[in-house]
Amino acid sequence: MMILKRILSVLVCTATVCALFTGCGGKSAEFTIGLSQISDHPSLNTIRESFTAEMERLGYGPDRVSINYKNAQGDQSNLNSISQTFVGDQVDLIVAIATPTAQSAAAAAENSGIPVLFSAVTDPVAAKLVQDGQNPGGTITGTSDAIPVESIFGLAAQLTPNAKTFGFVYNLGEANSVSVINDAKAYCDQNGLTYKESTVTNSSEVQQAAQSLVGSVDAFFTPIDNTVAEAMPVFAEVAINAGLPIYPGADSMVIDGGFATVGIDYTVLGQKTAEMAIAILEGGDPATMPVVTLDNFRGIINKETADALNIDISGVTDMEVYTGGEE
Amino acid sequence: MTFVAFQGAVELGFIYALLALGSFVSYRVLNIADMTVDGSFTTGAALSAVCAIAGLPALGLPAAIVGGAAAGAVTALMQTKLKVQPILAGIITMTALYSINLKILGTANLSLFQIDNIFTHFGAARVALIVLIVLASAAALGLFFHTRTGLSVRATGDNEEMVRTSSINTDFTKTVGLCISNALAGLSGALLAQYQSFANINMGTGMVIIALASLIIGEAIFGRRCVPLSILAVLVGSIIYRIIMALVLSSDTDPSDLKLISAIIVAAAVSYPALREKWDYWGRRRGAKRDAQSGNNSNREQGDQEKRGGEHS
Amino acid sequence: MASILRLEHVSKSFHRGTANERAALQDIQLHLPPGEFLTVIGGNGAGKSTLLNAVSGIFPVDQGSIRLGGEDITFLKEYRRSRHIGRLFQDPLKGTAPNMTIAENLLLAYLRGTGRGFSLGLSKRDEAFFKEQLAQLGLGLEDRLKSKMGLLSGGQRQAVTLLMATIVTPRLLMLDEHTAALDPATGEKVLQLTQELIKKSRITTIMVTHNISSALSVGTRTIMMDEGRIILDLSGREREEMTVEKLLELFREKRSKQLDNDRMLLN
Repeated sequence: MMILKRILSVLVCTATVCALFTGCGGKSAEFTIGLSQISDHPSLNTIRESFTAEMERLGYGPDRVSINYKNAQGDQSNLNSISQTFVGDQVDLIVAIATPTAQSAAAAAENSGIPVLFSAVTDPVAAKLVQDGQNPGGTITGTSDAIPVESIFGLAAQLTPNAKTFGFVYNLGEANSVSVINDAKAYCDQNGLTYKESTVTNSSEVQQAAQSLVGSVDAFFTPIDNTVAEAMPVFAEVAINAGLPIYPGADSMVIDGGFATVGIDYTVLGQKTAEMAIAILEGGDPATMPVVTLDNFRGIINKETADALNIDISGVTDMEVYTGGEE
Repeated sequence: MTFVAFQGAVELGFIYALLALGSFVSYRVLNIADMTVDGSFTTGAALSAVCAIAGLPALGLPAAIVGGAAAGAVTALMQTKLKVQPILAGIITMTALYSINLKILGTANLSLFQIDNIFTHFGAARVALIVLIVLASAAALGLFFHTRTGLSVRATGDNEEMVRTSSINTDFTKTVGLCISNALAGLSGALLAQYQSFANINMGTGMVIIALASLIIGEAIFGRRCVPLSILAVLVGSIIYRIIMALVLSSDTDPSDLKLISAIIVAAAVSYPALREKWDYWGRRRGAKRDAQSGNNSNREQGDQEKRGGEHS
Repeated sequence: MASILRLEHVSKSFHRGTANERAALQDIQLHLPPGEFLTVIGGNGAGKSTLLNAVSGIFPVDQGSIRLGGEDITFLKEYRRSRHIGRLFQDPLKGTAPNMTIAENLLLAYLRGTGRGFSLGLSKRDEAFFKEQLAQLGLGLEDRLKSKMGLLSGGQRQAVTLLMATIVTPRLLMLDEHTAALDPATGEKVLQLTQELIKKSRITTIMVTHNISSALSVGTRTIMMDEGRIILDLSGREREEMTVEKLLELFREKRSKQLDNDRMLLN
């Protein structure tokens, strides 16, 4: 029938185009890993690259492990297809970077016995990926980029002891941000600090959100929020003009103009993920492998910002001091 | 492509087909560019997720239908009573829904992992439930367009003024159409949330494009003849689109080329009828040129013959 | 005898308060008894179409009242008025839905005034009825019930529109130069059909036309408009004896200017 012919021609066309874009195949490695990412985001890319490098460094390079990397290009509807492809290919392990990626992988792999290793999921318990951090109790475990809220506020107490009211700027639509902010609010409540918040849905709203808090807060706090991170330079400008320090969650945000943080190094996160991957490939049981959160954090201060804010950081030791871009 | 991936593609194709059907009602039948679906899709997902967590997963489906319809009604109200331009009205509702969806979810990302949902008791046969729900919805839609109200809705998109001359309230028909369109989108989101075991505030982003791509692929294959065939076309188009994506994903292509490739394929599928016509046309042109040349030779001969033969009466 | 249509002191201006302000209708008084077939003529901008639009309710009038069959419709919405008003436009494509079949178009028109509801499409009885109605037109359309409207010619579509407007007998039928865009032969045929249908159901009709002789020969009464007013109202003996030249002469007298509309003069 005519219609059948048309459908077939569409599919043949698809297969042809794919073949054109294809690299060389030929994999018969000892292990296969399906690696999925939600989008092309710098921090996520860092994790992936350091993961791959560390795998090789520890003796599990391309000759032994074939890593099939897929990126959903920011389109959540592709996540399911990607996860299903991995399950269909019967990979030995799925590594999923970011929360929705991990959730999709978990659902697809549920009855297949394929273990799932997540990375960059701030609160895996809330995402129901694990029962609890110490005893995941299933086929899923991973590394979390939860940031040490207490350490950051501790840093703030040390560097700017007069800051009692904090302004929180973040995107309600990012689950990772929300869980960190909840921790921050709890901390403030317990430690006699007050806070105000201004949420954004888009990086173009960051400037106004920040400006709306100027005059009623002593300092800013923002988690590792992709939306805010994109607008960090303009956020920094607003803060510096108002004489207010920003304590962000990531060191990349400090480099972009924030003041200081005790943050996560995504390279280390990727390395830890590789360690766990190897353990699982060699027969480890994810149910008993606790979720890894980083415990040695890299403190970093931006000297230019410090100077602009007239904050004396000469007494600060054991923190990296960022002095401005090396172009 | 493995069987698992193929089955997944078919399941997803059916789930997203509801969304495409919704867009069919607004874009093709009513001729309204409705952007609300990005929001109402997520609304359906949010309501469905919340119901599942509360232990009533089956309730999520009718809740999503009602939620979606409500969103559609708001957009329709803006268009008809407040005379807001259609695209703008849709964008306004979609924007408002972001906050509302966030409130419903309670968080940006709500996990349903290992919580009982409508598919729990079906196991591997869940494709049957999906197909059942989708086919039932499509049949209901086809039946609706056969009713007198459905006829008015179709006519509104075809010749609005004539509908008013026939004493039918076009504000009402547009509202009905948009409600149905967004109810379908909501149902689609509801099914997806329980299928993938999580609902996320950003799930709806870019859904309009996917729906339109499915619509267009379906039309390229089936043409635009009558309503039941068009509905079938939408279903098939959605499934084919997901199969295309699955094919692309299971091949060894560079991950960052994903969108480029899918764009090329959709473009090819869509321009197939036009390309086919051009091919035929060039074929005819070449044939005609050939005939003309040999014709010139034989005409000259015939002309000479006639001159020699003298006049005919 | 009670009038079917009563317009009392109806006025309408466009672009009020701007430099383009135009008084399209000025203090119109018009009473149509049942069964009247009124023809309306006038130059461009005289207000003929505006008159019809005001009655159909496409816009609200600034002043005055409109009563149809005793009911005050001055503030009713267009779609409500259409229940009792049938209308044809100059554009033959305007009155039908091109992507729906003839049967579906007729069904929609047939539903005018009845509940819309969820009853399922076309019944066998409806189909037979439509076939019968279409056969009256004498265009062979009764065999093409399932064809899409867009495949028909302009004349055929206008004929179907006519049928749609009268299939449920309206209180008032308004024809806005409905044969003007058709070729002369088809236009003549449609006009003939019009007169037949009107006569059969005794429908009160207003027909706007640019053809002066047609205006005088068809129907029972003729009015001439100029600059938003009715300047001539002819019926009975006076109308029977009126000729095109005499009419033009009258116009010159009343308005102290020539009627300079080519379309009207050359027809």
